[in-house]
Amino acid sequence: MASTSKPQLRRSVTPWGSFSWGYSDVGADIFVGLGLVLAAAAGASNVAFLFAGIVYVCIGLAYTELAATYPVAGGGQYFVMRGLGDVFGFIAGWAVLLDFTIDITLFAWTCVDYSSQLLPVLTGSIHPWVHFLVTLTLIVGLIGLNVIGVRESTAFNGIVSALDVVSETCILCFGFLFAFRPHLLVHTMQMSWPSPYQLMLGTSLAIISFVGLESISQAAQETQRPASVIPRTSIALILTILIFALAYSNLALGMQPWHPITDAAGHPVQFWQIFPNNGDNQGKAVALLASQVPYFGAIAAFYVPILGAVLLLISSNSGVFGSSRIAYAMSSSNLLPSIFQRVHAKFRTPAISIVTFGGIAILELLFAAFPSLHPGAMTIYARFFRNETGLDFLADLYAFGAATSYSFVFLALIALRLKDPLSPRKFKIPFNLPVRVGGEDAEFPIVAVIGFVGIVSILVFTLFTHPIGRIAGPTWLVLGILAYFVYRRHRGLPMFGSQKHEWRKAQVEILRNAGELELMDEYVANVKASDERRAKAAT
Amino acid sequence: MLAVRTVLAIAMAVCGGVVIVRVAALGFRVESAPGLILGIAMIALGVHRLSLIAGIRRGMTR
Repeated sequence: MASTSKPQLRRSVTPWGSFSWGYSDVGADIFVGLGLVLAAAAGASNVAFLFAGIVYVCIGLAYTELAATYPVAGGGQYFVMRGLGDVFGFIAGWAVLLDFTIDITLFAWTCVDYSSQLLPVLTGSIHPWVHFLVTLTLIVGLIGLNVIGVRESTAFNGIVSALDVVSETCILCFGFLFAFRPHLLVHTMQMSWPSPYQLMLGTSLAIISFVGLESISQAAQETQRPASVIPRTSIALILTILIFALAYSNLALGMQPWHPITDAAGHPVQFWQIFPNNGDNQGKAVALLASQVPYFGAIAAFYVPILGAVLLLISSNSGVFGSSRIAYAMSSSNLLPSIFQRVHAKFRTPAISIVTFGGIAILELLFAAFPSLHPGAMTIYARFFRNETGLDFLADLYAFGAATSYSFVFLALIALRLKDPLSPRKFKIPFNLPVRVGGEDAEFPIVAVIGFVGIVSILVFTLFTHPIGRIAGPTWLVLGILAYFVYRRHRGLPMFGSQKHEWRKAQVEILRNAGELELMDEYVANVKASDERRAKAAT
Repeated sequence: MLAVRTVLAIAMAVCGGVVIVRVAALGFRVESAPGLILGIAMIALGVHRLSLIAGIRRGMTR
């Protein structure tokens, strides 16, 4: 007899698998972010990472609580839709889609930059066409692999993540033991403190080193016992990434390079000074730092560019995969047309979603690379975008998309705490205020308010300091919202309001499918007790 | 394996302590803040790992 039940994702992701899914996405960010932040924030780069890192810890805790309470694929978009309604769910999902498309291009671009450390023919400033064509080939190749349904396995992610954690730990240990000078760090911070504008720019770029926690919540539906496993792996991931980001930035500002570095005039310079106005160096900062670490740098100079390139390619692939998954989830919730749910007849993959958002990633690549391919275009970019091209352009939009979607996730967390106090929360963010809402006891999360203020300030920094982020980011959102209204009107669905959702029934299903039967029983008991209290109050 | 993980977790927490002590020696000012938070995060990760290992051990002995 044919089964009529909807097919479910197999729960095969273990605790280490959950960690490595997240790490292969977030762990790659420092490879991109370090050089950009050192170039922008100079002597205050570690402070920029510190500010963004504190906001990131709040974001991480919010995602951990939400993903453990609602372990479904869809991530931020689902939480926002459930907490704030369909329109905001669409905006959050659309911002995440922007991030995923940028993710594809940005990480493919830096994958080529890291490879150029060993293959100089790939250097963007010397051979722009080669750089562009190799990046384009990588993106097209990833789209093709995703359409035919080939993707990296959890085991492969696990191996690369383990290698990278060990490698980065070795770089930092050797660096701090043999190259770090605390007084040089203090001197650099005092003598090369940036202007407030540059510090804001650096902070808005630092947030891109912490983007990708979506992966853990996206894999929640495939994780074994998600309510127990996700908090364990998320907290380890949050702390690991924070430690790496702070350690790298402190080391970069206070390290004595193994081999003397000189500028064009032959004067010795500090390590961090090789990044301002040098796009090639910004794109491969971790490889350059590793090569300047005494003793270990002799080996690291050869393998770190390769390891970095592999990790970045995995991250680029997670952009292709993630964008199609998000589009599929949004389409299932009637936030996007049903065409994005269609699967390829032969390969059983959401081919239309993959090709559409992969195509947008290619357009972003063209826009980023155009001035280097056609120098005549530089005058237009100089006039309208303050010369922002290449890596700067991609990083701008990445920061904008992340800050926008995270802002909504904090609001969704607050709304869900107040609207849905009956759902059992195996992990709860600390520091809460007890409140009473609609006859139920609830807890107001203070950390979510702190995180919201932090991420909104980063969004303001992004809009204030990034000409492209200021124009292209809001344009993406406005075009998306207009298309959303047209679609909802065409389907006869509420444009500003939400469809009717049976959230209680959905929550029981979610917990049952997650195998969290104790939590499901607790939720059913909470609902029953609440209904009885209401009935008694009514009589 | 559990013993190795315990040693690594303790090493992480101890390194965090060393970072805090070395940064604190420079004096408490803006320049020290990233280093202090780094040390605190290292101790937190070490303690988090130790609490997980303790949980596993409790499960094994139960």
